[in-house]
Amino acid sequence: MKNDERRTRPAAAGPSLSALTAAALALPGLAQAQVETDLLYSRYEEADLPGSREANGQDSERYEIDTYLFRLAAPLGDQAFVANVTYETLSGASPWYVQPRQPGVDDTPVQVMSGASIREQRTDVQLSWALPLAGIDWGVTLGYSTEDDYRATSGGIEFEYTPQGVAHTISGGIGYSYDKIEPERGASSPDVIAEADKDSLSAFAGVSWVLNAKTVLQTAISYGLHDGFLSDPYKRAYVADGPTLVADSRPGEREQFTVSARLRRYLSGIGAALHADYRFYRDDWDIEAHTLELAWHQMLAESWRLTPSLRWYSQSQASFYAPYYQSLRSDGLASSDYRLSPYGAVAVRVDLRKALPDDWEIGGGAEWYEADGSYAIDTVEVENPGLVEFLILNLRLGKRF
Amino acid sequence: MPPLRVHRFTALGGPCALHVQADGDEAVRAGEAEVLRIETKYSRYRDDSIVSRINAAAGTEAVEVDDETAALLDYAATVYEQSGGLFDITSGVLRRAWDFKAQRVPAQAEIDALLPLIGWHRVTWSRPYLRLPQAGMQIDFGGFGKEYAADRVVAVLAAHGVRHGLVDLSGDIRVVGPHADGSPWQIGVQHPRAEGAVATVPLARGAIASSGDYERGFVRDGRRYSHLLDPRSGWPVDGLAAVSVLADQCLIAGTAATCAMLLGAERGPAWLAALGLPYLIVDAQLRLGGSIAGS
Repeated sequence: MKNDERRTRPAAAGPSLSALTAAALALPGLAQAQVETDLLYSRYEEADLPGSREANGQDSERYEIDTYLFRLAAPLGDQAFVANVTYETLSGASPWYVQPRQPGVDDTPVQVMSGASIREQRTDVQLSWALPLAGIDWGVTLGYSTEDDYRATSGGIEFEYTPQGVAHTISGGIGYSYDKIEPERGASSPDVIAEADKDSLSAFAGVSWVLNAKTVLQTAISYGLHDGFLSDPYKRAYVADGPTLVADSRPGEREQFTVSARLRRYLSGIGAALHADYRFYRDDWDIEAHTLELAWHQMLAESWRLTPSLRWYSQSQASFYAPYYQSLRSDGLASSDYRLSPYGAVAVRVDLRKALPDDWEIGGGAEWYEADGSYAIDTVEVENPGLVEFLILNLRLGKRF
Repeated sequence: MPPLRVHRFTALGGPCALHVQADGDEAVRAGEAEVLRIETKYSRYRDDSIVSRINAAAGTEAVEVDDETAALLDYAATVYEQSGGLFDITSGVLRRAWDFKAQRVPAQAEIDALLPLIGWHRVTWSRPYLRLPQAGMQIDFGGFGKEYAADRVVAVLAAHGVRHGLVDLSGDIRVVGPHADGSPWQIGVQHPRAEGAVATVPLARGAIASSGDYERGFVRDGRRYSHLLDPRSGWPVDGLAAVSVLADQCLIAGTAATCAMLLGAERGPAWLAALGLPYLIVDAQLRLGGSIAGS
């Protein structure tokens, strides 16, 4: 029998689907790629800030965002073009600064909200182009985003490569973004800066490991560097000595690192897949964060798919953060932004999709998110009063041509 | 709404069925004509086919081929590379030693005599010229001709305005689109050892193709001889009973399933997982595996 002889032959692994696809699409009539379009509406609504956490003792409405997203994906031979156009309207009050409830008497931090009801619009266009070249799948992205007071231009390049002879895929990419802000003046911000900008660089590298026929593990590291104006021009910090309000002031540079692992496990017999994701984040402002997410993708009868998921998050505070300051720091840094405070959060999400006749698809979902000091890994001694709770509802309509 | 009609015929060595929601039978007739065109053009049994012309010229001059044939040869070359040389369109010459109908196990000497005639790496392929360097060498498109035909028929049906339909060429299946109500077609995957399906797979778009040791194989003295032959040893591969793969194109689904069978139980599953397409494996002990197992 010749089996032994066969065993000694070199392994053939690490096949490339893009190589097969490119060769197949060169055949007449096989490039029957479909154009995909999606329309997505999403409503983001922050819960009212309770009066007990506000300086004026009254409940306060917070942010609401309506988002409309149009997506177009058009394959062309072995290449693909994708365009995403997003239009958002944002309105409501946002946290302005934090102060003691009654200076000298009750030093519990309470939130002061921006007086004016902000109403803004944002338009964002993202274009991407995917092409296989020299055995590697390449992607090029370009983006432009504009708001009343903000403009961002970004670009990036990424690749994915499956080497011969291995059962893993390597990916990587770099990106750059230039953001410019020209703040508006208003009741809450009479003395804002005239304009400022920042440069951001990002890079990532990842490996996708095929552990066995039903399990894939994706690991990645990423790095981000932001340079320029990183403060929030509309926020203030409270300094008890004085007392006085100072502008939100953060370092002019921020380095971020993340390590992540994503496990995909297909479950036989029940038409489901389990996704388990973990991410560790650290930056040179001393914030450390952990994110854990579990999602269950369940195929239901025929054309239904249900995906419930659960997310937990915990972070430590930035080194210069304080709800408010007794006296100004010697380095002049000051921020009471709840996003730099120590906190934890949980989110529960459910998505439902259904295929319809004539290549239509509808879907919808809801997510509830709550940030709270008690969800954090470490004990949070003083919780930021501006921590957010929100609900997202979305509807999606898709059509293939 | 037009009625769902089924048009059956025999071609490419097996039963063909076109399930089409359409008025009239113009679309299915055009679909059948496309299958017959491919069969005629690439049959190794017809002296006037391009394959026979290439094989007849083995050991002599290069043959110039048309664009469609050139694209198929390019595809074969790509699969040869991606399978580490296991998927080889020159291996059909082993049929001279292996007669699966007679269920006869050849002597090693018979196989050894054929091995020098096998190997895509020996072929000179410089589009549009193909030259088989030795008399007796041959190529055939039996390894993917049926799957390619399924893709072509779908293109023909779509060109006739069909939006909902299914093309089944001896179990290699590609759909034109889901049922008119948007629900997927329920595809039964052939059990490798028994009548009936080992699994049911919903398919709303794309293709599913299968390869298994049950096709044209035989059991002799307790050993199963699969018709899938390792081009380098000349002996049947063993290890997996059946593989099914889902892909956008039936051509890719079929060649991926065949490559996994050729790679065997040890390397086939990892190769498929790395390829990233949904698949179903039945191993020699008839255990199910793969990303769509149990669906």
